Parts: sequence; C-alpha cells; structure tokens
Amino acid sequence: MIAQLLLTALLMAILLYSWIAYRKSPAVALLSFLASLAGLYLVWLPNHASTLAHWIGIGRGVDLVLYVWVGISLILLLNLHLKLRAQMEVITQLARAIALANALPSRPGQEPPRPQSGD
Amino acid sequence: MTITRDNIWVVIPAFNEGQVIADVVAGVVALGYRVVLVDDGSTDETGDFAAAAGADVVRHPINLGQGAGLQTGIAYALARGADAIVTFDADGQHRASEIALLIETLERENADFVLGSRFKGAAVNLPPRRRLLLKAATVFTRLTTGLDVSDAHNGFRALSRRGAQAITLRQNRMAHASEILHEIAQSGLRYVEAPVTIEYSAYSLAKGQKISDSIVIMVDLFARRLHR
Repeated sequence: MIAQLLLTALLMAILLYSWIAYRKSPAVALLSFLASLAGLYLVWLPNHASTLAHWIGIGRGVDLVLYVWVGISLILLLNLHLKLRAQMEVITQLARAIALANALPSRPGQEPPRPQSGD
Repeated sequence: MTITRDNIWVVIPAFNEGQVIADVVAGVVALGYRVVLVDDGSTDETGDFAAAAGADVVRHPINLGQGAGLQTGIAYALARGADAIVTFDADGQHRASEIALLIETLERENADFVLGSRFKGAAVNLPPRRRLLLKAATVFTRLTTGLDVSDAHNGFRALSRRGAQAITLRQNRMAHASEILHEIAQSGLRYVEAPVTIEYSAYSLAKGQKISDSIVIMVDLFARRLHR
C-alpha cells in the first residue's frame, strides 16, 4: 500500500508536469500524460498489470510497471534536451546582439548597425 | 532593380581559419564586394587577418557554429542596407570570380535565392566517399523539402534582400544547410540553381564534414520539429 501511494504521488507529479509543459512542447507533454495515466492505472490494478503483461509477453505485472516508468524517464530526458536547445537559442541571440553591437567596420566612420529585434 | 557591387555583401563565417582567411577575404574584396567576416569565437587571429584584408569583422564572444555565423552575418548585411547577400566558405573551397555569376542569375531569373550546385558545375578533387554522402544528403533534402535541388549542402549561395529577410536560421551547427532549404521552401519565394566550382584541398577536406556528422545533423533536424 505504501509503495502504491508513493508511486501514485510520483505519477501525479508527472501529470501535473505534463499539464505545465503542454504550452511549450505539446508532443512531449501528451506522451508523458498518457504514460503516467497508464502508470497510475497499473499501480492500482496490479492484476490487470499481470494480465496485460502476460498478454504482451512480459513475465510479471511489476516488470511492466517498471518499463512504463523507464519510458516516462526517457521522455522527460528528451524534454530536458529540448529545453537545453531552447536555452542555446537564447544564448545565441545574446551573443549575436553583442557581436553586432561591437562590429568593426572596414571603412572608418561607419557606425555599427543596430541589431534588429528578433534577429 | 540593378544591384551594384558596392551593395553586395559577402558573408563569410569562420572559425580558426587563420591559415587561409586573409587570402580568401582579399580575393573577394579585390573584386569590389563588401565582406562581413563573422569570427565565430576563434582562438587564432582569424578576425585580425580578415580585418587587415578589408573585411568588416563581427566577433561572436563564444563559438556558436557555422549556422549561427551565417545568421549573424546576414543580420549585419541587412542592417547595412545590402541589396544582395552571398554566403561564402572561409576555407578557400569557393571561387570569388563566380560570385558575379550567382548575382547575375539572381537578377536575370528574378529569383530570391540562387543555390550553387557543384554537381551542375564542378567538384575538383572530391573524394568518392564524400560524393556519395553529398548525394545521399541531397536525396534526403529533396524528399523532406520538396525542393528540386541537385546539391543540398553547398554553402555558396546568393540571396536577394527580400530572400534574406524571409529566412531565420535557428540551427547553429551543420544542420543549417538543410534548414535554409526548408526555409526557402516555406517562404514560397523563387529559387534557382547555378553551376559553381568547389575545389577541395587537403586543408578543406580536413576541416569538412564527416559521415558521422550526418547523424548529428539528422538528430538536430528531428529535435527542431519537436520544439517550438
């Protein structure tokens, strides 16, 4: 029972996370939403887990739940990767703005151009 | 509209090209074009050599990649009122004398993008394995963008002002070559190919892409589709 409650809390946290993440990366949010729903279902109906596990060729229900969890972790890792990319884009814009503001024109007397917004 | 040489900006992104950059820049400047050299956080004197050879120099404070360099150079040239922009490699593979051909094609065909093609022109000293990789990349790009191109990873291109304004490169590293074609396809603007010569040297081959890079490019392109 304790384990079930603990797992439920964790899976609920992921449900909440997927809700928050939906705006930025809908695909990842949807995947983690579905995966955690499946996880919750199997935590509370372990018999179904066993049946389902046998049906898809996994020995025990608990193994199936474990695999679901691993799946969720991988999806979260993917989202983290995407967030890092987004952060890199922000850094790029910052570096570009600095570079353009400090440009060295070859013909003297020409002021460096102002970076355009959105570039 | 007639484009004058003084309003054609040649964008050259460079990272640690100190060995060759002075010659490359001087070759373009000698023909009367404006050059913006984007020094992508080089640790050698690439930027200084380019400035001495007559280029405007924009320095990234950190190394960001060739795609980021191109986008910075394009932004700079647009802010300077460029009528046309040419993207040019820093490693000496491209011929400055062929810039005129790209610009002429841009005007004659009333196009917004002229894409250099080594397979319509010439690829000097192109190793067979590299040729195979480039052909595979071209097939991939034709399938994913629907563009009718014969050379997908050629850095020698000309863009009209309108064309340059229509694209924004977000792929900092090598995947920008595919990205630029995606952006061209999405812009709906007119593009044509022009034959160019790409001359491989031991120097440029050592700096060029390897087969393993193509996997990184695929991952980058896939990741972009997942994220807004």
